[in-house]
Amino acid sequence: MTAALPWADGRHVVVVDLGFGDAGKGATVDWLCSPRSGLDVSAVVRFNGGAQAAHNVVVGGRHHTFRQFGSGTFSGVRTLLSRYVLVDPYALAQESDQLAALGVDRPLDLIEIHRDALITTPLHRLANRAREDARGTARHGSCGTGVGETVAYALDHPDALRVRDCADGALVNRKLVALLEYYRPLLAADGALPAGAGPGAIADMVGTYLAFAQAVEVVGDERLAQLAAAGTLVFEGAQGVLLDEWHGFHPHTTWSTTTPDNALTLLAEIDARGVVLGVTRTYSTRHGHGPFPSVDVGLDALLPEPHNGAGRYQGEFRVGHLDLPLLHYAVQASRRVDALVVNHLDAVDTAALRMVDGHVDADGRAMTAPTAAFDHDLDRQQALTDAFSEAGVVTRPVAGGAAVLAEIETGLGRPVVLTADGPDRSDRSVVNTHGTAQRAA
Amino acid sequence: MGNGTWSDHTYNAARTFRAATGAADFGYTAATRSQHPDTWKAHPTLDPLNVSARESRDSDEHPDALPVAVLFDVTGSMGQVPRILQTKLGKLHGLIQRKGYARDPQILFGGIGDADTDRVPLQVGQFESDNRMDEQLRTIFLEGGGGGQKSESYELAAYFMARHIRTDAWEKRQRKGYLFIIGDEFNKPRLAARHIRRVIGDDVRLDVSVESVYRELSRQWNVFFILPRQSAYFDDPAIIDHWRKLLGQNAMKLDDPAAVCELIALTIGLGEDRVDVADGLADLADVGSGAEAQSVRRALEGAADGRNRRTSADDDDALRARNGGWGRLRRLAHGTVAIRGAGTPAGLDDAGGVTFR
Repeated sequence: MTAALPWADGRHVVVVDLGFGDAGKGATVDWLCSPRSGLDVSAVVRFNGGAQAAHNVVVGGRHHTFRQFGSGTFSGVRTLLSRYVLVDPYALAQESDQLAALGVDRPLDLIEIHRDALITTPLHRLANRAREDARGTARHGSCGTGVGETVAYALDHPDALRVRDCADGALVNRKLVALLEYYRPLLAADGALPAGAGPGAIADMVGTYLAFAQAVEVVGDERLAQLAAAGTLVFEGAQGVLLDEWHGFHPHTTWSTTTPDNALTLLAEIDARGVVLGVTRTYSTRHGHGPFPSVDVGLDALLPEPHNGAGRYQGEFRVGHLDLPLLHYAVQASRRVDALVVNHLDAVDTAALRMVDGHVDADGRAMTAPTAAFDHDLDRQQALTDAFSEAGVVTRPVAGGAAVLAEIETGLGRPVVLTADGPDRSDRSVVNTHGTAQRAA
Repeated sequence: MGNGTWSDHTYNAARTFRAATGAADFGYTAATRSQHPDTWKAHPTLDPLNVSARESRDSDEHPDALPVAVLFDVTGSMGQVPRILQTKLGKLHGLIQRKGYARDPQILFGGIGDADTDRVPLQVGQFESDNRMDEQLRTIFLEGGGGGQKSESYELAAYFMARHIRTDAWEKRQRKGYLFIIGDEFNKPRLAARHIRRVIGDDVRLDVSVESVYRELSRQWNVFFILPRQSAYFDDPAIIDHWRKLLGQNAMKLDDPAAVCELIALTIGLGEDRVDVADGLADLADVGSGAEAQSVRRALEGAADGRNRRTSADDDDALRARNGGWGRLRRLAHGTVAIRGAGTPAGLDDAGGVTFR
């Protein structure tokens, strides 16, 4: 049976995470790409971030953590990495191997990459880790995959390595040598400079990029319109709006626009319309350093996280109660959220979840709810971080899953259209009328 | 921390991408790659260890055997080039024969790696004149290694070719064969005796200078070096300079590796006085290699006027005068300058000019 998705109304679908990440974008995208959605998806489009994304999808016992491949891959849906994505060919090869082992036929045939996308190299990765090591206890909560370094280097070096360069060995060689020289002092100080970090190692890397350029389809601006003409596009966001480079708790953010902005820009360029789905769990999570007012260590044991372990550079995976004021802030920062997806409904009864209504400072005084601004002021974001680092929360209990859905719809002023009460694709339900979920698969 | 991450990932990533583009057509490579690196070795038919000689012999069917050897660098810096060569070189024999550039070509293929770091630094097949050549190409192991010194063991391959090849062309007719080395790096600073002992099995105790190896090699071979684009050092002037010092204008840059087959065929045709450049390029267009013909033309022009050899402008005219520019290749083709014979071409002229006698 094809699920009725009246809210889609023939529009393309943009999926963003309204929290700190891990809300279930991957599982949502997987379902949207499955036959059950009836959306006839032609491609998943990644519009931010890079290989640090980690979107867990479970389908009938198969599990994969999608990083650069779109989360529709299990349904054979192709992925377009747009010009906003930071492409790591090494990680892409590794992920291709993993998918092949899971039975996906010729995974790299499903990947298309915009020619202007920046390349994240192993050097960026090493530099990222060296810098994070040097911060000691003041870590930013980086994943250690080099994404921030890629953006930072490209801002200062307009000729940074891009996908379109990869077919020209001499050009790649020149750009990698420049990159190595740029990072040499940092890596040497950290003891991270690989043995033989010279022309030979660079030459080996060049060989990899040449092979990469042959193995994937490199496309230009025209490709998005072609894919849009062939079916529905699903835009898969990476990370979460509360980690956005301009709206997150600076400096514990990612160097990426995690709001729907990039996706909406891409759609505008092809004169197409999209509907934006904001995704949240019934509780909050944060993987990495930075403020997390509603954190509750008591929940850890009740809500096991099978696919999110402690990362060497990210630190512990933390769990807290659903923070309505922060969710509202994320919706504001997104500028456009049309409907909501709520995952982990099954957790509501398991863990006696509470709802956060507001925040208090260290002296117990009520704090003003944060409001989003769009002037790219990192000092203000730093002040937000300072204020929320010591903040506590005001909570109240909620009475079951239906009540949580109602709270979220009322609090954010948007309808909930999809829910899930388990990790598998078959655990997802379409909400046709308020509070009434139908098992969709 | 972090050490090794790039090299480990390099190996795995490159393998995955190559497999995705069909590079696994090198069946032996795929099979070997799936085993632990400590067990990697050359296919028995390509292992140079304790080989007394590879032979190119006349037969009733092929009374005028002309040996042609093509050894290509199979290290990582060459990128996709070895794969491209594998798909294109199979046509070499037919191209040479069809155009009458040589009556009975016999072709040997081999792979060159790095004896300091690779498990399989040298592979040398047999001279073949039928589709066993294809098999040989597919059997060459693409280790994809290489060691970080911007040098590969070309000189070890040169040593093998100088000491372990016997040909009727030379022994009966004093005719040189054609040896093409395709690569993108320097020779090792010296030919190491320990490499000879380990890889080839000759009991040599003293290192040998690279120059003397190529000098010896050039007695029985017309030696050419081809630097193809898509390799790591195509635009590094030091590489082509290095080879021009050894081989003079026989060191060529080729901007399309897919044209290597055509370049080799035409070079042989020119060397054998069977064709001049203009007719040769027309020949290539004839057989449907139009784009390749343009690349071949540029490679020959580049070699002829030596424009990539010096950066200093004031030397340019002197060089052009000495090399004779484009005209030199025509004279070469018309026999004004004999490329064959027992002269001492290639290698000793520091200025890079070659004196064929």
